[in-house]
Amino acid sequence: MKKRAGILFASSMLLLTAVTSACSSNNENESSSSNAPESPSATATASASASSGPVDPLGKYDPPIDVSTVRILSNSVKFKGEETIDNNVWYQEYEKKLGIKLKNEWSVVGDEPGGQGEQKMNVSIASGSLPDIVPLNASQLKQLADAGKLADLTEVYEKYASPMTKQILTSSGPTALESAKFDGKLLAIPAVNSVYNGTPLLWIRTDWMKKLNLEAPKTMDDVYAIMDAFVNQDPDGNGKKDTYGIALNKDLYGFFGAVEGFFNSYHAYPRFGGTGNWIEDGSGNLAFGSIQPEVKTALGKLQELYKKGYIDREFGVKDWAKEKELIVSGKIGLFYGAMSAPIVMNEIKTTDPNADWKAFPLASADGQPAKPEVVGIALGNPQYLAVTKNAKNPEALMKLINLFFEISYGKSYSQEEHDKLGTSPTDGVERWMYSIYTGEPEKNLATHRLIKEIVAGTKSESDVSSEQMGAYRSVMKARNGEKLEPIDWALDRVFGPENSAFQVVDQYVNDNMLQPNAYTSVSTSTMLKRDATLQKLELETFSKIIMGDPLDNFDKFVDNWKKLGGDEMTKEVNEWKKSR
Amino acid sequence: MLKPITEEKRGVPEPAAGVRTKPNRLPQWPLHLMILPALLLIIVYSYGPMLGSVIAFQDFNPARGIFHSPFQGLENFRYVMALPDSMQVVWNTLIIAVMKLVVGLIVPIAVSLLLNEVRKEFFKRGVQTLIYLPHFLSWVILGGILIDILSPSNGIVNDVLKLFGVDPIYFLGSNEWFRYVLVISDVWKEFGFNTIVYLAALTSINPALYEAAVIDGAGKWKQTLNVTLPGMAPIIILTATLALGQVLNAGFDQVFNLYSPQVYETGDIIDTFVYRIGMVDAQYGVATAVGLFKSAVSLTLLSVSYFLAYRLANYRIF
Amino acid sequence: MIERNTVGRRLFIGSNYTFLTILSVLCILPLVHVLSVSFSSSAAASAGYVKLWPVDFTLSSYKYVLMKKEFFRSILVTLERVAIGLSVNMALTILVAYPLSKEVNKFRARTAYAWIFVFTMLFNGGLIPLYMTVKYTGVLDSIWALVLPGALPIFNMILLLNFFRGLPKELEEAAFMDGAGHWTTLWKMYVPLSLPALATITLFATVGHWNSWFDGLIFMNSPSHYPLQSYLQTIVIVKNFTAANLNNLKMLQEVDERTFKAAQIFLGALPILLVYPFLQRFFMKGIVLGSVKE
Repeated sequence: MKKRAGILFASSMLLLTAVTSACSSNNENESSSSNAPESPSATATASASASSGPVDPLGKYDPPIDVSTVRILSNSVKFKGEETIDNNVWYQEYEKKLGIKLKNEWSVVGDEPGGQGEQKMNVSIASGSLPDIVPLNASQLKQLADAGKLADLTEVYEKYASPMTKQILTSSGPTALESAKFDGKLLAIPAVNSVYNGTPLLWIRTDWMKKLNLEAPKTMDDVYAIMDAFVNQDPDGNGKKDTYGIALNKDLYGFFGAVEGFFNSYHAYPRFGGTGNWIEDGSGNLAFGSIQPEVKTALGKLQELYKKGYIDREFGVKDWAKEKELIVSGKIGLFYGAMSAPIVMNEIKTTDPNADWKAFPLASADGQPAKPEVVGIALGNPQYLAVTKNAKNPEALMKLINLFFEISYGKSYSQEEHDKLGTSPTDGVERWMYSIYTGEPEKNLATHRLIKEIVAGTKSESDVSSEQMGAYRSVMKARNGEKLEPIDWALDRVFGPENSAFQVVDQYVNDNMLQPNAYTSVSTSTMLKRDATLQKLELETFSKIIMGDPLDNFDKFVDNWKKLGGDEMTKEVNEWKKSR
Repeated sequence: MLKPITEEKRGVPEPAAGVRTKPNRLPQWPLHLMILPALLLIIVYSYGPMLGSVIAFQDFNPARGIFHSPFQGLENFRYVMALPDSMQVVWNTLIIAVMKLVVGLIVPIAVSLLLNEVRKEFFKRGVQTLIYLPHFLSWVILGGILIDILSPSNGIVNDVLKLFGVDPIYFLGSNEWFRYVLVISDVWKEFGFNTIVYLAALTSINPALYEAAVIDGAGKWKQTLNVTLPGMAPIIILTATLALGQVLNAGFDQVFNLYSPQVYETGDIIDTFVYRIGMVDAQYGVATAVGLFKSAVSLTLLSVSYFLAYRLANYRIF
Repeated sequence: MIERNTVGRRLFIGSNYTFLTILSVLCILPLVHVLSVSFSSSAAASAGYVKLWPVDFTLSSYKYVLMKKEFFRSILVTLERVAIGLSVNMALTILVAYPLSKEVNKFRARTAYAWIFVFTMLFNGGLIPLYMTVKYTGVLDSIWALVLPGALPIFNMILLLNFFRGLPKELEEAAFMDGAGHWTTLWKMYVPLSLPALATITLFATVGHWNSWFDGLIFMNSPSHYPLQSYLQTIVIVKNFTAANLNNLKMLQEVDERTFKAAQIFLGALPILLVYPFLQRFFMKGIVLGSVKE
C-alpha cells in the first residue's frame, strides 16, 4: 500500500520539496519517490559522509550518554505488549542511532493546556529537580528563563540543527523561534503546529439549502436570508416551527458554534477562542480587537437575530457540546466553526442520513472581502522543549529533534522501519507519539493538498502516509459512491478535494487573506493581572447585549476596558512591537 | 444561659497538690502516646507544607522556588482586593455558601428523623441507599441534565409549573434564580450522603430515654422534640460548626459547570474567579493569598462558635 | 420505641412512606438517565434522544475501558490504596479520638491537641509545598504518597470523638476500677460500643480513598502506578478539536465523550456503591446501648 512517506507532513508541498532538496546533499539516494528500502548501513554511510562540515547533526555518541527527561503524554497514546513510555521503539532508536540513552524521570498523561501535565511540571519546577530536557509551556519557559535555569541553545541550534530541522522550524516565519528567545538567546525549541486549523468558516446544511432553493451566500444579506428560510420555511419538513437560524455557545468564542467568523464578516476581530486578539490599527500601532467599533456593529446584528428568534433562547447556558444537541437532532442548519466541525458533529449522519453540511468562505457585510482571524503562532502540546543549565550535552536535544524530522521527512529510513516508528499498519498503534518531539506544521492542510493532487493525477497513492491513510480512504470512498460511515462523510468534508473545509482554508492561504493575531509573545504583566477580569467583563457585556441589553453598553464596556488595564496592556503590546 | 460556675469545675474538684484522690486517675502518658503517631504525621504533612504559604507574600516564580522568590509584602492581597470583581465574588460566595449551609443542614436532619420513624427495615435501607447514590455523580454530567430539566421551553420542571399556570422560568439564565438552583441541586446531590452521620447519631440515643418519655405521657412528636433532637444535638452542633469553616467554599465544580456569562453577577464565586485568573497563568502567589484569606475567615468563624458554645453552654464542640 | 396507633399517627406514617418514596425516585431518576446514556449509541446521546432507557443499545463505552489492561492494573492499585489507607485512617482516627474524648481534667492537653488537629482542616500550604514535602520524605511514587498526607481524616476523628463522649461514663469508671488501662478500655469497650460510628467513618474513609484522583496524578511518576480514578481521569476523552490533532480518528469513531463519561461513573463507582448496603447492618439502632443500659 503505502510506500515511502513521512510520518508527519511539512506545511506544504512546496516546503516538502524544499526540504527534500535541502537534504539531498546529504543523501546519495535521491530518486523522487525512492521506493527501494534502504539498508541501515547505507544510511549510516550517508550520514557519515555528510559530516564533512563541522558536526554531524545525527552523529552517534560513543560511548553512549545518559540524558534525562520527563514526558507529558496525550491521553490518546496507546501501548501494546511490553512497550511503555520508558522503553519503546523510539527510545531504542535513540540509543542505537544516536547513542543517547533517554531516561524518563516521570511521565504523566494529560497534555491539554492547564491539564495534569502542566500541573505536574509546575510542581517539579518548584521543587527544583529538573531533568536535562524539559517540556514547557510559554509561561513555564518564561519563569525558568527569568530564573536563569536554562541552557543557551543559540550556538547549539546553529551548529547541530540539520538543514531540514532549520527549514521546518522557520517554515511559518521566524515568529515561532523568536518566541523562545530571551535577550537574544535561544532558550528552547518550539513544537511548531498549525496556524490554519483554527480558521473560522461558515458551515451550512446544504440539504436544507437545496430543499429551499437557496444559493451559496455571497454577502451577509444572503446569510440572513438563509437563516430566515431555515427558521420560517420549515426546512426539516415536520410542519412545526422548531428550527433556528444560527448556533451559538455560551462562551461565544471557540471552534464550534462560535462568533469569530460572524464578527470577521464585519471586519471585526475580537478575541480568538477566548485569547486576546491584536490588530494593526492603520497607524502602525497595535490595538485590541474586541473594542473596535466594528464589533459593536456585529453585536447589534446578533441582537437583532436573537430578537427575531433566530438564535436558540437558551444558548446562554449551553457550552458547545450541549449546543451540538440541536445540530445533531436537526434543529439548526448554520453556524461558524473551525475545520473540525464535521468530525465534531459526525453523529448527524446517523440521526439523519440525508443531512449534509459544507464549509463556505465568510460572507462579507460590505464589498470588501472578509478576512478570517487566526492565531499568531501555533505551538503543540507541550509547546517547547528546553535544556536545563546543568545538562552535560545540550546538543543532544537538537540531535533528537533532527532524528525526528529525518524519520518523518528524510530519505534514510526504509518503509519497514517507518512503519515500526510511525502508525503501524498491522496493529494501528501510533508509535510516533513516543517521540520526545512532535512538531507538525500544517499537516492537515498538506493532507488535503496531497489528496487533491492524487485526484488530479499529479501524485499517486504511494505518497500517502499511514497516518493520512484514514482520511484518504474516506475521501476515496465518498468519491467512488461507496456506503459511508459517518466518520467517512466527516473526513471527506474536512479533507476532500472539493466541498471541504480545507478547500476553503487553502484558498484563504493562497490568497493571503488570513488575519493573524499581531501579538505573538507571552502574556504581558498587565495581561496576567487583568485579563481574567477584562474577559469576564467582555463576555458578560456581549452576552447581555445579544440577549437584549442596550447596544450602547458596548461603549461603556470599551471605557471600562481601557480603565481596568486595557490601556496599559495596549502600551505594553506596542512597546513589544517596537522592540522587535 | 450564662453559668457562673462551669459544670466541670463543680463536678470534679481539682485535687489538692500532691494528693491522689481518685483511684481511677490513670496516668496521662498513654494518652499522649496514642496521639503521637498522628501528631508526627500531621506536623510533617500538614504543618510542614503550611510554611509554604509564604508564597502568598512573594512574587512567586516556581523556577526560583519558595526559597528564592522575592518577597513583596501584601502585594498579592492588594492586587486581589483592587480587582473590580472581588467584592462581588466574595458576596456571591457568602450568600451561596450560607444558603447551602443552612438548607444542607436541615434537610439531612429532617430526612434522618423521617427515616427513623420507618419500621420496615428493607424500606429504610432501600431509601438510605438510593438517596446516597447522587453523591457519586459528577457535576460535569449533572450540568447537562440540569440544563435539560430546567429548560424554559421543554424542561420537565417548567412543564409542571405550566400546569399550575406559572410562566416558564429561565432558571439557569436568570440572576434571580441561579443561586437557588445552586443550593437546591447541591443539597439534592449531598443530602443522602450527609444523612448517614445523623443516622449513626440516632443509634447512640439511649432507648431508656424513650421509655421514660412514654411513661411521662409524651407522644411521638414530643419524643422527637425532647429525646431525639437533644440526643442528636452534639452531632448537629458539630457538623454546623465545621460547616461554618467552609463558608467561603461555595462549590467550585458545581458553579463551574453551571454558570455562564449572563449569571456572573450572582453566580461567580471566589474559586471560579481564582481559577480564571489562573487560566491566564499559574499564579500561585495570588491563589495562595486568596486561600490564606479564606482560611483566616474560616478560623475566625470556627473559633467564635467554639468559644461561644463553651462560654454559653459549657460545651466543647471538639 | 413505643408507638400509639392513633389516626394522626397512621396518617403521618402513610405520608412519610409516600414522601420518602418520592425522594428516592427523585434521586434515582438522574442515575437511571446516566446509566441509559452509558449504554446508548453516541449519536443518540449527542442528539439528546436518551431519556430513561438506552437508545441504540451498545456496550462500546464499557468495552473501550474494559479492554485495556491498565484498567485492571489500576483497580489493583486502588485496592491496595484502600486497604493500606483505610487501615491507617482507622487506626489513627481511633487512637486520636479516644484521648481527645476525655474531659480536660482527665487529659489536660486535650484542647490544645484538638485545635492543633482542627487547624489543619482550615489551613493548607497548597499543592507545591505538599509536593515538596512528599518528595523530601521519600514517598513520592509509592502508595504511601497517597496514604500519609491524609493519614488522619480530621472530620472523621472529630465525629468519632463526639460519639466516644456520648458513651456512658459509668462503664469507663467501672473498667478502670477493674484495673483496666487506657489501651484495654479503648479496645475492649469503646470500639465495640461504637460500631455505628465506626461504620460511618469507615464508609467516609473508603469513599475518600476510592474517589480521590488528583493526588494519584501528581504523586505518581508513571501512569502504570495510577489508582483507578486517576486512570479514568486520563482516559476521559478530551476532544481538543482546536488542536491540530486529528490523529485519533479511530477513537472518535469508537466512543463519544458523553456516553463514556457516563460509563466512567459506573465503572468507577460501582464497587464503592456496594460498600454502603453492607455497612448498613452496623446501623441497627439500640443494639449497642440497649445492651448496656443500666
